[in-house]
Amino acid sequence: MSSSETVQHARTQTPSEGVGLAKRVVGKIAKWSVLLFFLAITLFPLLWLIMTTFKTNAEFMADPLALPSGIYWQNYADAVRVSGLPRLLLNSVMVSSGSTIIAMFICSMGAFVFAREEFRGKQIILTVILAGVLVPIIALMVPYYRIIRSIGLFDHLFGLTLVYVAINIPISTFLLQGFMKSIPYELEEAGIIDGCGFWQRYARIVLPLSKLGLVTAGTFVFLFSWNEFIYALLLTTSFANRTLQLGIRDFQGQFFTNYTGMYAAIVLSIIPSVIVYVLFHDRIVSGLTSGALKS
Amino acid sequence: MARKALVLVIVFALSVPVVGIFAGGAAEEDGIVLQFPSFWVGQDSKAEPMEQLIGEFNAMYEGEIRVQVEPTPDTDGYRQTINTRLAAGDLPDIFIFQPDPTTMRYYEAEGVLMDFADELHGGWGDRFQESQMNAATVDGMVKSIPYEIGVTPIWYNTRLFEEAGIDEFPTTFEEFWEATDALKDAGITPTSQMTGGANAWTSMLWYSHIIGSIGGPDAWDRPLGHPQYEQAAEILLRLYSDGNTTGDAVGGDADVSGSHYLAERTAIFSNGPWYIGRVAGDAPQVHEATQLAPAPAVEGGEHGHQVTFALSNLAAAHTDDPARRKAVVEFMEWMTKPEHVAMITEEAGSLFAIEYEIDPDVDPLLSEFVRVQNEAPFTLTDMERAFPVAVIQEFGGAIEMMVVGGASPAEFVEILKDAAED
Repeated sequence: MSSSETVQHARTQTPSEGVGLAKRVVGKIAKWSVLLFFLAITLFPLLWLIMTTFKTNAEFMADPLALPSGIYWQNYADAVRVSGLPRLLLNSVMVSSGSTIIAMFICSMGAFVFAREEFRGKQIILTVILAGVLVPIIALMVPYYRIIRSIGLFDHLFGLTLVYVAINIPISTFLLQGFMKSIPYELEEAGIIDGCGFWQRYARIVLPLSKLGLVTAGTFVFLFSWNEFIYALLLTTSFANRTLQLGIRDFQGQFFTNYTGMYAAIVLSIIPSVIVYVLFHDRIVSGLTSGALKS
Repeated sequence: MARKALVLVIVFALSVPVVGIFAGGAAEEDGIVLQFPSFWVGQDSKAEPMEQLIGEFNAMYEGEIRVQVEPTPDTDGYRQTINTRLAAGDLPDIFIFQPDPTTMRYYEAEGVLMDFADELHGGWGDRFQESQMNAATVDGMVKSIPYEIGVTPIWYNTRLFEEAGIDEFPTTFEEFWEATDALKDAGITPTSQMTGGANAWTSMLWYSHIIGSIGGPDAWDRPLGHPQYEQAAEILLRLYSDGNTTGDAVGGDADVSGSHYLAERTAIFSNGPWYIGRVAGDAPQVHEATQLAPAPAVEGGEHGHQVTFALSNLAAAHTDDPARRKAVVEFMEWMTKPEHVAMITEEAGSLFAIEYEIDPDVDPLLSEFVRVQNEAPFTLTDMERAFPVAVIQEFGGAIEMMVVGGASPAEFVEILKDAAED
């Protein structure tokens, strides 16, 4: 190729390259605009919440979106003092963790049977259990109240824990049996050849391979138990057995709400969830996406 | 790190059964212990005076009776909890009874609620306002003691009125529309309204006031087909039109409505005395400038009436144990002593169904409440207590339909009528 041809070629390339570059720049701007937009709408409520905790109620009422005139730490002091947050936090951690572990223990066994065993009436039993997902929990308040009362667990953390486990059995069983179905049966066959019995197939093969499914289902149970309010109110009466969500409501009177104090309590209450997420986020994300592809 | 944290969480979780089983049991003690779940706790305005009164009662009956308060914040949650326990037939010894069609049905149930009729006839009943006692009596049974009541006059900001050149609160709607025009000319939105929340509270109060002006004390006895409802809807629509309220009134809840008044973005509002503490604390300048008035009268209609209702009664679980019954009655009598409710009024701003007087040097806005209540030629209940829940649930949506032009005032009434019939 002669030098004149090269120049000619370069000249013919320039406009298309320019268009390509412009397209890439526009594409990047569009991509970042969309990402920044969603970042903003995701972070804004959280930032607004944190910002509001540094305002007085009068400031908040005057202009909810304005920046605080100064840093007002009293809301955090009130959050700890008024609601007795440390004790409630501990109770919430115990109830949420307890219900998660018990639910995973029970549901993983149930899910294993439904996913791997064949027996008469299996589909009917599974359908009945899964139908529990469709029942609004508010409709179960009277029966749960009576049961907990009659077994002497009213106003006990363990009573509340059991109710949370029961409420979460349908959804957890559904998630786990779906997950366990995707585990190749050949692995169990290999185990059977090596002498694995029913319990060993569950405990040594399927359960370890279901770790991601357990994290996913466990996250659901934990978050439900952490955020649940009405059963905690119904089934506990003494401060010693109350959970965090009830403490947050301490800022709400019959006709008055101390919003900034309540928001400070909310900010403090989400710290443990954030810590759990930071520690386990890899597993939670993998668990949520693991069922996306069959392979 | 993650593994250690997981182990820590498991240890916590496994400690639940141990801690849970052994925690929470009440210690055995002498005397009668009465459990009293209450939402007058925490940061509620009545929390401190209530704690003081109950503490004094417990001290007086030491070793004989002890009232143990179970703090139950969140009034909606409290209502749901009590309704569940009513349905389960397992009530706390004493509780706050919120009279509504659901709870009032339990008056008829045998062995659920304690009937105080006999004790009230022995002189204790004389301390209550007659109209409130009548409302708590069904077929001669008084299964809940009238206690906290609501009075909801019209609030107005005198400073904003002065800015707009208005000297006093209008007494007729003709004068009222002139006043709203003057306020708008001064750059002030005239009224706070709202269609959201469970009952479109502020607008529902306005509608009740207007109905009272058209129909008088027995207005609610008329069925929804009566022309008074359409006439009141026309006025309500105008309150939402021509800039007479804020843009966010459609869909807004009680916080939206109240915060506009507190921030002096609106000049006219309606609520009960429980809101005094909020205004005094969050907007002292508004508290100082606020005065109360009856709603304006429609042409040829009544004027000066007030919308009042029973907010919270006190009730108790039925018991066949005479000692326990006596303890409950002692406590109820203690809580309804005129000097005790006066103390709560002065400290928390609540009004009670008992005949009593308050210190004249108390909060001037509270004195205003007592004044408008005393000056009212008649009172009527609010719309929420006059109609089934289904009607109230439709009320806010029906206003929205009317405001966006999807329904005329006549159709607004039809929507409510359909809800009542369904």
